Amino acid sequence: MKNRKLLIITTVICLALIVTALPLLGACDNTEKTSTTTSPTTPVSVTAGPTTTTAPLKTSATPGSTETLKVGIMTPTTGIAAEKGVPLQDANLDCIKYINDELGGVNGYKIEVDWLDSNYNATQAVANVKKFMDDGCLFFTTSSSTEMGYVQEIANRAGFPGLVAYASPSNYHPPQHIYGQTPDYGDDWIGFTNYYLKNVWKGTGKPKMALMLLNNPTGAGAKNAAKALADTLGVEIVATEEHAATTVSEMESLTRVKALKPDVLYISSTPKPSAVIIKNAVELGMFPGVTIGVCHAAMVKSLIDLAGADVVEGVYGTFPTVMWTENVPGMAKMTEYVKKLHPKDEGNPDYIAAWAQSLIIAEILKKALDNVGYDVLAKGDAKAWEAIEKYGFQKLAGYDVGGLQGAVKYSAGDNRLTKFNRVYRIVNGLISSPSPWVEAPLVKYETFDWYGK
Amino acid sequence: MTLPCGTRNYNYAEDMAIVRTRTHWALLIVLLIIVFTGPLYLPNYWLGVFNLIGITLIAALGLNIMVGYCGQLSIGHAGFIAVGAYTSAILTNRLGMPFPVALISAGLVSGCIGIIFGLPSVRVKGFYLAITTIAAQFIILWIINHWGYTGGFNGITVPYASIGGLVFRSEASQFYLIIIITIICVFIAKNIVRTKIGRAFIAIRDNDLAAEVMGVNLLYYKLLAFFIGCFFAGIAGSLLAHYTGSLYGEQFSFTDSILYVAMIIIGGLGTTLGPILGVIFIRILQRVLAVNLVPFLESHLHMFPSGFASGVNPMFFGLILVLFLILEPRGLAHRWALFKSAYRLWPFSY
Repeated sequence: MKNRKLLIITTVICLALIVTALPLLGACDNTEKTSTTTSPTTPVSVTAGPTTTTAPLKTSATPGSTETLKVGIMTPTTGIAAEKGVPLQDANLDCIKYINDELGGVNGYKIEVDWLDSNYNATQAVANVKKFMDDGCLFFTTSSSTEMGYVQEIANRAGFPGLVAYASPSNYHPPQHIYGQTPDYGDDWIGFTNYYLKNVWKGTGKPKMALMLLNNPTGAGAKNAAKALADTLGVEIVATEEHAATTVSEMESLTRVKALKPDVLYISSTPKPSAVIIKNAVELGMFPGVTIGVCHAAMVKSLIDLAGADVVEGVYGTFPTVMWTENVPGMAKMTEYVKKLHPKDEGNPDYIAAWAQSLIIAEILKKALDNVGYDVLAKGDAKAWEAIEKYGFQKLAGYDVGGLQGAVKYSAGDNRLTKFNRVYRIVNGLISSPSPWVEAPLVKYETFDWYGK
Repeated sequence: MTLPCGTRNYNYAEDMAIVRTRTHWALLIVLLIIVFTGPLYLPNYWLGVFNLIGITLIAALGLNIMVGYCGQLSIGHAGFIAVGAYTSAILTNRLGMPFPVALISAGLVSGCIGIIFGLPSVRVKGFYLAITTIAAQFIILWIINHWGYTGGFNGITVPYASIGGLVFRSEASQFYLIIIITIICVFIAKNIVRTKIGRAFIAIRDNDLAAEVMGVNLLYYKLLAFFIGCFFAGIAGSLLAHYTGSLYGEQFSFTDSILYVAMIIIGGLGTTLGPILGVIFIRILQRVLAVNLVPFLESHLHMFPSGFASGVNPMFFGLILVLFLILEPRGLAHRWALFKSAYRLWPFSY
């Protein structure tokens, strides 16, 4: 009786082991699940590897009502960067609505958005990107370099293309499958420093610069650029201070900086901490006096709202788009939508950047559709990702985003899709006085010994 | 432990067994089959969610040993997870060591760091000890952000986990790796608390002075609790590093540390089942709110401007946690125990 019981238990355990071992062995075959899907009926063959891609063909399929092009959009709408995430989400979705409703989608295919909030949180961002891949999105976008930092390795490993609105050099150096919509935080520093040396600095010798950096890729971008080019450009970095996104006072670090008598203070951070730093600089009597420059993450309306217009009067900052008052072809439609759907966002440069991002999304899809046709993209699998990257992202050649930002163009080995920045100044509570568009040179950070260490 | 009516233990082995009846065995086997065949019917996204649940669970088990069993309040657990994650990243990326070595080293290094920050527990307890563990969180992250070997704010990439020639590349293979290590950790955690060590932990938690009078070495056992708890955190960190493939200091925030405490409180402090239920509850709730509720509200309530539902997410999350703590303060594990008791007596509930 006892042996029988033992026999039954052993048999059940053996069966259970067999059932469980089968998928285990199947799963450990060292290949991506997503990369194994193929379609024998696909008229266009885009195989792995740069040299084995067959010539693209156009298909003449007529779009059906259910045929859509799916894109994943992630914004930090909640969490510590929500003051930027909310207008970015608004603009992304408003523009997609405009493309679908008024332009009839892309070549007749509606853009289907898989939108998710990242909460500026790594766990949530990772799960979001897995969902985008699983849902058959053709590529995904994030707003911030930090969000992209959390997920870029997952995307790069899978060959899933990503577009980040505000990038840091670490997002695409070395270049893989992540692309930057605008010049990165390193380019901001270079652009501002060049502008400062040519237009503001009146002294002799090298001006002394202090860096106030956010403790993430936003700050690291400026730090890397300064490390690479400070000597070449002719500035002396006298202090590098770091702060958290949640900082409420930087009096201590600014007191140290003040003792070093800098000529210029450069802040690479988000609006909240930047507002704290500028207010503290005013309280310490440093500003006005020193020149203050901020990166594009901070050069937005919320900086003025948080710090107060009188406090930030005269602050310089870079931004990769035009401002609301400018008369460019793309402004009218965007203004119409913001007035209609999100009037609170009017005047916020973040809205322009995200609106432009959605227009670029449509252009990438259009290029890919023109080159490989809908059937290849419809599957949303690894082959579709490869096609969208090769025939969408990498075919961008001077796309004019209605004049809202610099021309969008891919250059081999440079995953920044736009290389142009402008330097603005806050005057009477408005971001104004733009400089001409300045092209940011490509800095190959990966060639420096210190990079990533 | 209460046993079903008519079930008796006739020897010591039966009395000590974790799985006691045929029904237990059958349920366990069915559960294992469901879990291990998951990749056959779950999409990659859900496998990813369960991978994160597994990693979080390992960390929560460690925290439960420290807080739930030994009564040593720690609010710096994310920092200890970061130690494990970066140890594994440095060993595999910079020094080219194999993953199994990195995994164990991550646990050991994190455990040793835990001992250092656990030293104040000999003198202070409760909220005072919590403050020292908060300090641990910030000190650890400062070092990570400023030590060149960790990549600083540029982050560091981490290769796929691999054992021998077997590389855990796909979501399904990572699921198996994580789930097997999670099961081993649950088994170890369950058994630790049934040993002399576990009883000493409970004695210290209930009354440390009485425990000392009975001969329990407070220094040794409190530091042991920190070592074990942080060892688990290190293992979780290592798995997280190889799963996400890149690490930044910001991934291990103070908010996460608080969330880990919330998970074990919601699950039920001082039970092995508690962290399992708490972690599953919180992680699933987060995903349901972010992926289902918010987009649903956005697409169906057109009278509000787009973006309005994002604010609903944290409100719902907070509301559910508050209601939970009011209505079931002893945790989900207690609710499960009540259900089991009712089931065993059914239909004679008197």
